[in-house]
Amino acid sequence: MVQSKKQKNLFLAFCLVPTFILFAIFTLYPLFSGLYYSFFDWSGSSSNSEFIGLDNYRRLISDAIIPQTIWHDYFLVITKVFGIMILAIFFAVALTQLKIKEAPFYRVVFFFPNIMSVVVIGILWTFIYNPSLGLVNSGLEFIGLESWTRPWLGDQDWALPSLVLPSVWAGIGLFMLLLIGGISNVSKSYYEAAEIDGANQWQQFWKITLPLVWPQIKISILYIVITTLNGSFIIVQIMTGGGPNNSTHVMGSYLYQQAFVQYNFGYGATIGVMILILSLLTVLILQFFMKREKVQY
Amino acid sequence: MKKKWQPTLIRTGIRIPLILWTLAVLYPIIWMFIGSFKSNAEIYANPWGLPETFNIQNFADAWNNYNIDTSVFNSAIVTVLGMALTLVLALPTAYALERLRFRGSNILFTVYISAMMIPMVLGWIPLFFLLMDFGLLDSIIGLSIVYAISQLPFSIFVLTSFMGTIPKELEESASMDGMSPYGILFKIIAPLSTTAIITVSIMNAIQFWNEYFMALIFLNTREKYTLGLAIDFISSEAQYTNAWGTLFASLTIAIIPVIILYAIFQKRIAKGMTEGAIKG
Repeated sequence: MVQSKKQKNLFLAFCLVPTFILFAIFTLYPLFSGLYYSFFDWSGSSSNSEFIGLDNYRRLISDAIIPQTIWHDYFLVITKVFGIMILAIFFAVALTQLKIKEAPFYRVVFFFPNIMSVVVIGILWTFIYNPSLGLVNSGLEFIGLESWTRPWLGDQDWALPSLVLPSVWAGIGLFMLLLIGGISNVSKSYYEAAEIDGANQWQQFWKITLPLVWPQIKISILYIVITTLNGSFIIVQIMTGGGPNNSTHVMGSYLYQQAFVQYNFGYGATIGVMILILSLLTVLILQFFMKREKVQY
Repeated sequence: MKKKWQPTLIRTGIRIPLILWTLAVLYPIIWMFIGSFKSNAEIYANPWGLPETFNIQNFADAWNNYNIDTSVFNSAIVTVLGMALTLVLALPTAYALERLRFRGSNILFTVYISAMMIPMVLGWIPLFFLLMDFGLLDSIIGLSIVYAISQLPFSIFVLTSFMGTIPKELEESASMDGMSPYGILFKIIAPLSTTAIITVSIMNAIQFWNEYFMALIFLNTREKYTLGLAIDFISSEAQYTNAWGTLFASLTIAIIPVIILYAIFQKRIAKGMTEGAIKG
């Protein structure tokens, strides 16, 4: 090696330093200073920010909307995990185990909503739920269930559940592909052996497919949980804005409202800290419970 | 005999949910296309049917009267700038993290990767004021920088794992021949990583083109609006103006580039996204 140690370090610095500085300024610093601001009463300009210790956290605990937002977030997490996983597993098995000629077509179609903009998804589904023009109500009328029609997104009890369907609709494709990847790595010989032993499709699914793709299932569940806790507020913001009467506010949309609509930046940061802690805790707990032994046959 | 027909039956039966889901995915999208060619009267009279004549009035309206032209332009700039900047920043770092062992390289890699799992909402409040101090608030350039940094972890992750598959011999022999490490990075590693670079760039481009929330926070004048914001604006105005046709036309304008990219790079996009998810 001809290059000197100094030249080597210079090259290393060239590769790493500019990127890291920008990353520190635009990602690390905001996160830590978010923590810091959660101890301030702060409405924007630097002159009127006042250190108030844990007051924001006391406010957080006594804010009646906060428990609702947390519940709404976890409601979306749970319904999305079940909705997406059941359908994604079903589709993945159907497209790999049963020799369907047009399987690639389904794959391409089912994945597409994953790369659609949340704005487009949100607005399209707002239309589907539209009380007078929407597909849901027209469909219900068509099959004679007029009493079931309602202004879905304007109904306090139904607005939140109505947000689940678009999220499932938009999410399935990715997890289906993840699982297809897992299933196609399972050796054919297991299924052949099971076939000889007289196991039917259903038994093969429970005894072979499911245990062997458990790593992919685990990753999928974790990924759904993380992306929901960190990002569910986007579709909420577009479809309902948190309404009607706060019935769809999730933690992130409430943060947006507090910080960027009402200019309570300190309190907004406190909500942000709560989101951070809850999402890290949830991931840790989930990882603990899903630590199922890796199956090997 | 039983064995023979049973799988066929199952296969036919299983097609029913598959076809239903295909309809559920395609129908709203197709309906959006159709709606963009309908007049308002037609949308009210027959919201889910075909238009009588295909007229492009809605597109002209969206383009000329609702600032969609500016927004398409803004979104295009954010997308291209963000994409280029991410690449410039991620490629050298990915190379250093993958090939040059140095003290702390694992820690640095972990820092970047764990940023993918951290909810960034907390950071957006200070970031708002930081951009204000830099004069980058309500600025397309500022938004491009924020976008680029937000996709760094993902890009570094995909690039490092790809570079791990490039054989080391090429670099070693180039280095023997006296090539500088800069030369190795830009003349050998970069061209060899084209596949990963393209995948990462497409993923980032789609991400930036579609992004909504950061734009909502960091942009505020209508001339700066990216597509997501402009469409959201038309959508909330449509409650009063009933300009649904215009809304559908602008949704169609927003989705067409994504469809084109997907049509060309479907395999890469699917692969890039599943890889990005697996890191978790």
